[in-house]
Amino acid sequence: MMTTLIRRAIQAGFVVFAMTLIVFVGVNVIGNPVDILINPDLNQAERLRVVQNLGLDQPLWRQYLSFLHGLSQGNFGDSFVYSKPALDVIVERLPATLELALCAMVIAIVVGLPLGLYAGLYPERLSSRLIMTGSILGFSLPTFWVGLMFILLFAVQLGWLPSNGRGETAEFLGARWSFLTGDGLAHLVLPALNLALFKTSLILRLTRAGVQEVVMQDFVKFARAKGLREGRIVLVHILKNLMIPVVTIIGLEFGSLIAFSVVTESIFGWPGMGKLIIDSINLLDRPVIVAYLMMMVVLFVSLNFIIDICYTLLDPRVRLDGKG
Amino acid sequence: MTRRRFHGSVLALLAATATPALAQEAHLSIGMAAPITSLDPHEDSNSPNNATSRHIWDSLINRGGAAENKPQLATEWEIVDDTHWRFKLREGVKFHDGSDFDAEDVVASLIRARDKESQAFASYTRNIAEVIAEDPHTVVVETTVPDPMILNSLSRIRIISSDYAEAGVAEFENGPAAVGTGPFKLVSYTPGDRIELERNDAYFDGPAQWSKVTLRLVPDDGGRLASLLAGDLDLIENLPAEGVTRVEGSDKLKVVRGQSTRLVYLGMDVARDESPFITAKDGSPLGSNPFKDARVRKALLMAMNREAIVDRVMQKNGTVAHQYVADGFFGHSGKVEEVSYDPEGAKALLAEAGYPDGFALTIHGPSGRYVNDSEVLQAAGQMLTRIGIDTKVEVLPWSVYSTKYSDGAYSLFLGSWGVNTGEVSNPALAVVAGRDADKGTGRYNGGGINVPEINTLLDQATATLDEAAREPLLQQVSDLTFNDTWLLPMHYENVVMGAKSGVEFTPRSDKYTLAYEVHGSTE
Repeated sequence: MMTTLIRRAIQAGFVVFAMTLIVFVGVNVIGNPVDILINPDLNQAERLRVVQNLGLDQPLWRQYLSFLHGLSQGNFGDSFVYSKPALDVIVERLPATLELALCAMVIAIVVGLPLGLYAGLYPERLSSRLIMTGSILGFSLPTFWVGLMFILLFAVQLGWLPSNGRGETAEFLGARWSFLTGDGLAHLVLPALNLALFKTSLILRLTRAGVQEVVMQDFVKFARAKGLREGRIVLVHILKNLMIPVVTIIGLEFGSLIAFSVVTESIFGWPGMGKLIIDSINLLDRPVIVAYLMMMVVLFVSLNFIIDICYTLLDPRVRLDGKG
Repeated sequence: MTRRRFHGSVLALLAATATPALAQEAHLSIGMAAPITSLDPHEDSNSPNNATSRHIWDSLINRGGAAENKPQLATEWEIVDDTHWRFKLREGVKFHDGSDFDAEDVVASLIRARDKESQAFASYTRNIAEVIAEDPHTVVVETTVPDPMILNSLSRIRIISSDYAEAGVAEFENGPAAVGTGPFKLVSYTPGDRIELERNDAYFDGPAQWSKVTLRLVPDDGGRLASLLAGDLDLIENLPAEGVTRVEGSDKLKVVRGQSTRLVYLGMDVARDESPFITAKDGSPLGSNPFKDARVRKALLMAMNREAIVDRVMQKNGTVAHQYVADGFFGHSGKVEEVSYDPEGAKALLAEAGYPDGFALTIHGPSGRYVNDSEVLQAAGQMLTRIGIDTKVEVLPWSVYSTKYSDGAYSLFLGSWGVNTGEVSNPALAVVAGRDADKGTGRYNGGGINVPEINTLLDQATATLDEAAREPLLQQVSDLTFNDTWLLPMHYENVVMGAKSGVEFTPRSDKYTLAYEVHGSTE
């Protein structure tokens, strides 16, 4: 297991390294950050001074080397736009994104898994058909539209929930969280539901397909013939066997919830990282883009590793070091 | 003055109808359309930052809504000689942390803004040679050259406490350094989300009506509109065009309109003998640059049905422009000919200039940078096609477009300039003056315009302190620019805001939404 961990870390290192190169070159191809960032009223000398201060007067390869040098000391450089360390800019928005993604994932699992099990075990029932039709809506309706409809219905028409923003926050573990206050929770409900809708449908359909496959297999028939209780058959024999694809999807989707919930964050004015990365790309704020993408690589690699560990727990035949 | 009287009458009306009096609890939530990048008032100069910093800090000069200079921390000023200005400072003013405001704070702030690495305020501070405190309530500002715009410049620079002259960005954003003399005190700042403010009861100009103000940063149009409709926000900037009907139809809400000083124009390549995006209709080289001919340029302007663009494409969120600034602003000229829509006349002029069959043209513009920018460009393209110029339209993201257009990559392009000084020299120096790296002129002159008379007039105007002598110079700049059609003026963007019916606010020409100037009730 240790060797696998080390191998994964080395792989991640390579990906991160490739990514910094791609971002450095890519941002330069899109346009010159200087033209976006510098006040248009500046004259040549003042402009030059800012360019030098940002280090953009150097050739690209030298900028890259000094970036690597900073990186070796844990410094991602200062954001061009916010004039403070890029990592700080990202980390101060991390709690907002994390709690939104976690809430959405919990909703998706709590709703999607049981409904999928039900629809898979009793495919002929009318309620199962309704659930399946609902799930088609769930992943075919565009997120931004559903979000706007939620706002129109629950905030504008009914006035039950706030339309926008993060609400009151409370401090916990050195960061500010919404889910600890009533007002914050009220703000969290709509965006979390909005994000969860697609994921719920995905988990639901995946679970149903898995159930239908597993139910037909011999060991389930045998368990039934042996006279095991239906509850035990479903929870132990069926559920455990269909979890591998579900866990994979949950892990990857959780990553994408953290990294790419831009649409929901924009519509609900949620001050998370997804919005930050889009803004940074528009403003060519290279340090933030690089730092963000590097964080995401690390995140996805770690998530994949956690998924792999889950496999071994779910299926004793799976060995991480590939020996068994 | 009229604004003050207007606010006075609103207040009198409020008192008469026994709505909450001034010093009571009242909460105002403003939805800002663009996020701020820093709370350090000298770090970055963009409108959301500068509007936000005006809540917490004051300047020497108060820039009014119609770009007029009024006293703020300076009560009066005089010109000592061409390069020295003396300012009398207001006495008895205190910072939010209780310390006294005096000349040292002015010196520290102006020098800090000038020497900041980001150079964000360089256009305002570049002429400041030295700031001398003569006594605790008198400062003399020495400029390197005679600078007629110094009052405007000083109105841009916030006065911070000299205790925090060395403070960095983080100290401003987390609180300790964010103490000013302004109408509101900072409570908290959450990046990308909100700024919470509370009233400074000791404000020298009288306390604000609002005990608590929240500036919400909601750049998403739909989200901002929904928050207004849901009653979470009391006043929002940039009401999206799709929301205007809905807001007008509600008896709890209203649309607030005003004119901004942002001019949207079309620039033309008038420098090259052959322009890269102009060809004959069959795609072969044309052999000449038609835009060098003033008749062709005028024909382009006559082809534009700007009334229709403002009415339909802009959904009334703009006002047809004929020159740099609208009537009432410094340098507006009565002698600029107002060209109206005349496609037949345009065709005749084209024929007269030697292009009876027109030519083919590709025009360029940004997408999402200005109000309905790509739609405006498409409409302009169709109108040009109607007078016989086969026009293709290409729009690009701002991050790609911004470098290219100012470097003169295009033949005909959409440009815009927010005239934040409210007078003509600012746009003319950037967009029309001949490019000169040393003087810093013509940085955004993407068409390569270089008219010696205009350059000379601008040189004179930037060195003339006497306003009465300066205005005719700038008026001549307007005349020369637009009567020879060096630019095609399209429209001024309007300020369109949404508000609860009880909220009173007169939009400012600089588009700042200042809680201190908002009155009425949010009930």
